[in-house]
Amino acid sequence: MAQDKSFNAFEMAQTQFDKVADMLNLDQGTRDLLRNPFREYHFGIPVRMDDGAVKIFRGFRCQHNDARGPGKGGIRFHPQETIDTVRALSMWMTWKTAVADIPLGGGKGGVICDPHHLSALEQEKICRGWVRQIAKNVGPLADIPAPDVMTSGQHMLWMLDEFETIHGNKYPGFITGKPVGMGGSLGRTEATGYGVIYTLREALKELGINPKETTASVQGFGNVAHYAIKLYSEMGGKIICVSCWDQDDQKSYTYKKNDGIDLDALLSITDRFGGIDKNKARELGYEQLPGEAWIEQDVDILIPAALENQITAESVNKISKRVKIVAEGANGPTTPEADKVLKERNVFVIPDFLANAGGVICSYFEQVQCNMNYFWEKEEVLEKLDAKMTSAYKAVSDLAKKKNIFTRDAAYVIAINRVAQACKDRGWV
Amino acid sequence: MMTTPPKSLDKLIYNLEERVKELNCIYELEEILQRSNLSIDEIFNELILIIPSGWQCSDKCVVRFLYRDSYYQPENFKETPWVLFSEIKVEERTVGKIEVYYTEKQPDADIGPFLNEEQQMLNSIALRLGHYIMHQRLKLVFDKWETTKQDLSKKKSGEWKVVLELLQRTDLDFFHRVSRKMLNHLVWNEIEEAQELLQQFDPLAGYKGKDVLGESNVPLDKRALGSSTSFSAKVFEIASKHLDNQEILSHIQKWMQQDKTSFLVRTVSSNDTSLNDISEAIRRYYQLTPEGMDLTPSAKMGIRASLTRRFLSDQLEFINIAKHYLRVTAFNNLLQCVIFPTGSHGKLGGKSAGVILAYSILKSSKENEEILKNIKTPKSWFITSDTMIHFMHYNNLDEILEQKYKTIDEIRKEYPLVVQLFKNSHFPPDIVQGLSMALDDFGTTPLVVRSSSLLEDRLGTAFAGKYKSLFIANQGGKHERLGALMDAIAEVYASTIGPDPIEYRSERELLDFHEEMGIMIQEVVGTQVGDYYLPAYAGVAFSNNEFRWSPRIKREDGLVRMVPGLGTRAVDRLGDDYPVLIAPGQPGLRANVSIDEMARYSPQKVDLINLKTNKFETIEIKELFKKFGNQYPAVEKVVSIYEHNDIRKSCFNDDFSQEDIIVNFEGLISNTPFVKQAHTILTVLQKALATPVDIEFASDGKDFYLLQCRPQSYSKNIAPSPIPKNIPKDRFIFSADRYVSNGTVPNIKYIVYVNPEKYNELSDHKELLAVGRAVSRLNKLLPKKEFILMGPGRWGSRGDIKLGVSVTYSDINNTAALIEIARKKGNYVPDLSFGTHFFQDLVEASIRYLPLYPDDPGIVFNEEFLTKSPNAIFEILPAFSHLSGVIHVIEVSQASGGMVMRLLMNADMDKAVGILTPPASENLSQQELDEQIESTDEDHLSWRLLMVDKMASQIDPERFGIKALYLLGSTNKISASDGGNIKLLVYFNGTKAQKKDLLNWLEGWSLCLDEMNYMRTGYKSGKLLDIQFAANDEIIAKEEIAKEYDLM
Repeated sequence: MAQDKSFNAFEMAQTQFDKVADMLNLDQGTRDLLRNPFREYHFGIPVRMDDGAVKIFRGFRCQHNDARGPGKGGIRFHPQETIDTVRALSMWMTWKTAVADIPLGGGKGGVICDPHHLSALEQEKICRGWVRQIAKNVGPLADIPAPDVMTSGQHMLWMLDEFETIHGNKYPGFITGKPVGMGGSLGRTEATGYGVIYTLREALKELGINPKETTASVQGFGNVAHYAIKLYSEMGGKIICVSCWDQDDQKSYTYKKNDGIDLDALLSITDRFGGIDKNKARELGYEQLPGEAWIEQDVDILIPAALENQITAESVNKISKRVKIVAEGANGPTTPEADKVLKERNVFVIPDFLANAGGVICSYFEQVQCNMNYFWEKEEVLEKLDAKMTSAYKAVSDLAKKKNIFTRDAAYVIAINRVAQACKDRGWV
Repeated sequence: MMTTPPKSLDKLIYNLEERVKELNCIYELEEILQRSNLSIDEIFNELILIIPSGWQCSDKCVVRFLYRDSYYQPENFKETPWVLFSEIKVEERTVGKIEVYYTEKQPDADIGPFLNEEQQMLNSIALRLGHYIMHQRLKLVFDKWETTKQDLSKKKSGEWKVVLELLQRTDLDFFHRVSRKMLNHLVWNEIEEAQELLQQFDPLAGYKGKDVLGESNVPLDKRALGSSTSFSAKVFEIASKHLDNQEILSHIQKWMQQDKTSFLVRTVSSNDTSLNDISEAIRRYYQLTPEGMDLTPSAKMGIRASLTRRFLSDQLEFINIAKHYLRVTAFNNLLQCVIFPTGSHGKLGGKSAGVILAYSILKSSKENEEILKNIKTPKSWFITSDTMIHFMHYNNLDEILEQKYKTIDEIRKEYPLVVQLFKNSHFPPDIVQGLSMALDDFGTTPLVVRSSSLLEDRLGTAFAGKYKSLFIANQGGKHERLGALMDAIAEVYASTIGPDPIEYRSERELLDFHEEMGIMIQEVVGTQVGDYYLPAYAGVAFSNNEFRWSPRIKREDGLVRMVPGLGTRAVDRLGDDYPVLIAPGQPGLRANVSIDEMARYSPQKVDLINLKTNKFETIEIKELFKKFGNQYPAVEKVVSIYEHNDIRKSCFNDDFSQEDIIVNFEGLISNTPFVKQAHTILTVLQKALATPVDIEFASDGKDFYLLQCRPQSYSKNIAPSPIPKNIPKDRFIFSADRYVSNGTVPNIKYIVYVNPEKYNELSDHKELLAVGRAVSRLNKLLPKKEFILMGPGRWGSRGDIKLGVSVTYSDINNTAALIEIARKKGNYVPDLSFGTHFFQDLVEASIRYLPLYPDDPGIVFNEEFLTKSPNAIFEILPAFSHLSGVIHVIEVSQASGGMVMRLLMNADMDKAVGILTPPASENLSQQELDEQIESTDEDHLSWRLLMVDKMASQIDPERFGIKALYLLGSTNKISASDGGNIKLLVYFNGTKAQKKDLLNWLEGWSLCLDEMNYMRTGYKSGKLLDIQFAANDEIIAKEEIAKEYDLM
């Protein structure tokens, strides 16, 4: 890949690592090991297209680190895929599994292709071709792929089928993200949203706040927000507003009700993408405010659960004095500038890659269930998820307190330290 | 019988008795005719006894037949003055007569002493006898023929003579025609004797070929046609020498059969016959032999062509195609369902013609029989176009026909009134009766009343969707249903003079066309689902795909837009909802691929007919399924299930009222031959009609119903745009020749150009995101649909935003066009997105998409204009000034001296250009456009000469003290480019004051000319004249002078 001075995700990931490595005072060998993927595979995938022509697609798999367990990470179908993106993402997966303290490493893979220009049959051939090229180097005990950008449960099943055909046995734990009933786990829909609230619950406990006396404002009304609101309300908290995207007006609105929103009533007037019908919402007595209004509400808790870069240097100043906790349900909702302000104002931030680790933990559970070929009820999945999230949270928060560092930094420190330690214990460095 | 003047009830009973008598008479007539053993003589003799019983005074009534010069009459017959008669005709020729006499004078009634009903009955009897006689004759001929054939098999010779004799006796005219045909046949086979005979008798044979065919303008001599019996005898004498029995016989039989149907040819080819006559002729044709008789291929074509012309269209292109597909049977079936006024000369109109022809084409496609076998058209009734005129006459609305010549404003203002006027008018009784019959045929199925005007849907003209189509629920009592149907028809009639169609016609110079509106009443395809009635799915399909979401889709792969329920939602762009798109030639390449896209771009609403409220309604699919999901027709073909953030195909045991359903027609596409069928239909129709087509279809879940078929047309801004030739280099912004769709964007005032190289050089992720935000802000700030976005790679990239600006649809929704630029990097040209991230949003909002490949050979890409023009970002969006190296906001008029950019795209040529043109109205004609763009140097020169001529003619030499005026520069040296000045030399010998006066005068001209030049070319230089002064004696080189104006 051409190296130019343009934006490079991998370099960014390395810089982030270097910062934490300095804090941890890691030796050069460990740094060299962790700055780059441990193993990388590049290969061609020949596919006979529907029109009879043969096209060669480029496929990748990066296994950044598997000291703590088999690699774990998605497979992306992306027309502008670059190896550096895949490298960066595989590194982040290592930290993510480590902070959640699940016995897995980090990996990522992909194929340069645009499914918009491919038929289903051609996509199936790419999936099977990808597995054929790398069947010896992945597997339930080595590296476990999952769906990612432009791949779905269907793609996972094609890959699983090819893998099992090659190895001559059933290995449902080879891949996760499969449809429920075909080796998928229950509770995946709830996992991320519930995970956010499990950590929030622990944070409130630590700060000595009774959840029943709190109010919160949520940005977004998608899957994560639904379940976060559901569990938070069950805990006795009161959500006074949600914001969501309006497809007709092509902008977002905040819907507010001071005595607390009614989740079921709102869901009944919401489309599949979390868009609330504004007319019906007004009929139900909701106040319709501009999209950005969610951030300036006089509440105890903010839950950004929609997009990245929402709490910025500007918008951070609109946050009410009353706000004590920001629980990051979305990926990267807070910019570094805003982080500084939050730190100064002593707002407790539950960082994204801890708060939304519910997803990856549930993937781990799917794999565990597949390996023993016994599937839990949803309650059992969620119970175990709670235990995992709680202990992951505790570790981060303890460290943050002990060392008096920002929670986001603490999460990275714990993750990288765990991985570095595993490498040392194995005698690699 | 005594006739007493009856009163009220008595009269009624009396009348009824009379009818019973008449019917009884007809009954007995039939009884006699059924007795096959009777000869014709016997029949007449029986009939003279029976017929009188049908008359009022049957005891004073006698009957006489005249047939073939013989009378059949009772013994005591005497002629009297009180007579009623009717002629017996066989094949239009009178062969006899029935007469009914009263032996004594009776009281006067309608016709003398006779009643009208009696005359009618007599006519019926005569007609029936005529048919009977013809039938008998034919039977005789055929019987004879059968025996002859049998004899022939026993090798008897000369049997043809028997047949010929028979012919000679029964039909002399035909006998002569057969003789002539035989002679022609012999001559054709180059038999010498026959040629000699022909020369003796035949009028044309004697002429030399060139006399007949040549260019002589002198009429040919007329010669008597040979028709005598001796001529016939000679012909057959020759024939018997050269042909064997079998041959002669088979020829005679062939000609005989052809001759029997000649009446049909006569009736349909005449312009005077009304639709009633034609209908009657076709009925007779089928009465002769139900399977239809053999016609010569030429006669068959002739009849088909004539029927097509009379019923469907007089457009030659249409007839030329239709005659190969539309059989006489089809017309016979069609006629059962046509409503027309007496003496009608109307047609069914374009829409009806289109669907009838398309259906016949599909049904006659032998090679695709299997795949096309479940194709149907809905039950339909048709009203002829002149019914509308009949309707208007009947209601004294004739002057409204002239409405079209009023101004559009007047028409618009008066239109609501006109609609009410129409809706409050009455239909003539004959039409009401026809509609009533139609309703009995339809029952209570919902109906759609479609306009089918003469102008609509013709081959070669685009007149689509201008008139109304109305759905009616057709529920309730007959009276109520009939009322609703007539109301709908009246409203469709009124739409002929609606402002939009009139404006459209006036633009296309079709205003003087005598527009008539036929009506097609179609059963709405569908089934009842709860209180609603709707098809399982419906949509439109096009031969040419103008919205390709992948470079792998070719234009000829076609496009299907389909929705659940009524197809109304697929026909129009929706804006707030999405039909499912399929390219039938590439069914595997779907517009939406990821789970999120599939869910987001799936239809959310459905159009249907509410049988309870009798209304056409739009409701949420979610609501419909909650209530009646499990009753939905072919539901497994229509919906998939959204579950655990995944989409799966639905199956039999799903509870469709509970599941989260997504309409994507996955079952239909992957488990049924639907896509192949749609593709075959489009291909077959396009081939047969020799034009890309546009069809509407619907399905009740089982069969494919073709609702409409017309040539594919384009609305104004998505029609293929002409591309001017000889575009001057400095007018070009870019050109493209790959994956071009159709369309025109006439008035582009701003170009937002994201420089691909500079964008790629941005190293900070935040800056890359900022570019997206800047575009989003510009999208809100710039005038809607008057700017375009040009940028690298993939607009709307998420995640990896390095090669495409990160925007969502809302960040670009006001642009007129989205242009993606693929610059070569080494040997590699990056893939473009084709707008896939928000493809369907682009389609529904009519945002044009165009990929550019600036590094391809032969492509123009005016990078200088795009990067060196003043960047308006500093004024418009100062907050993003730091990105001015990446984002160029070009105010076109400022950068080009008053022009706008025009984007012209033509998919037929696979060519597009972005060019600078003077601002103009949107309706610029091609010629005007060419003139503006293609004006050559010669044009500039001649315009300048003309202007100077004019100026010189108006100059007053005395007033200004000048002697002569010279236009400088030889013809090839004159600065002829569009902005160049006109150099003038003035021989001046006046005073200072005169000079000042002259300069003022010339300055006026100069400014004026500059303004005019700007109007024609878009160039403005401030002053167009460049004046030099010279004294008398100064010598100017001859070659410098282009033209001299001696003013003395």
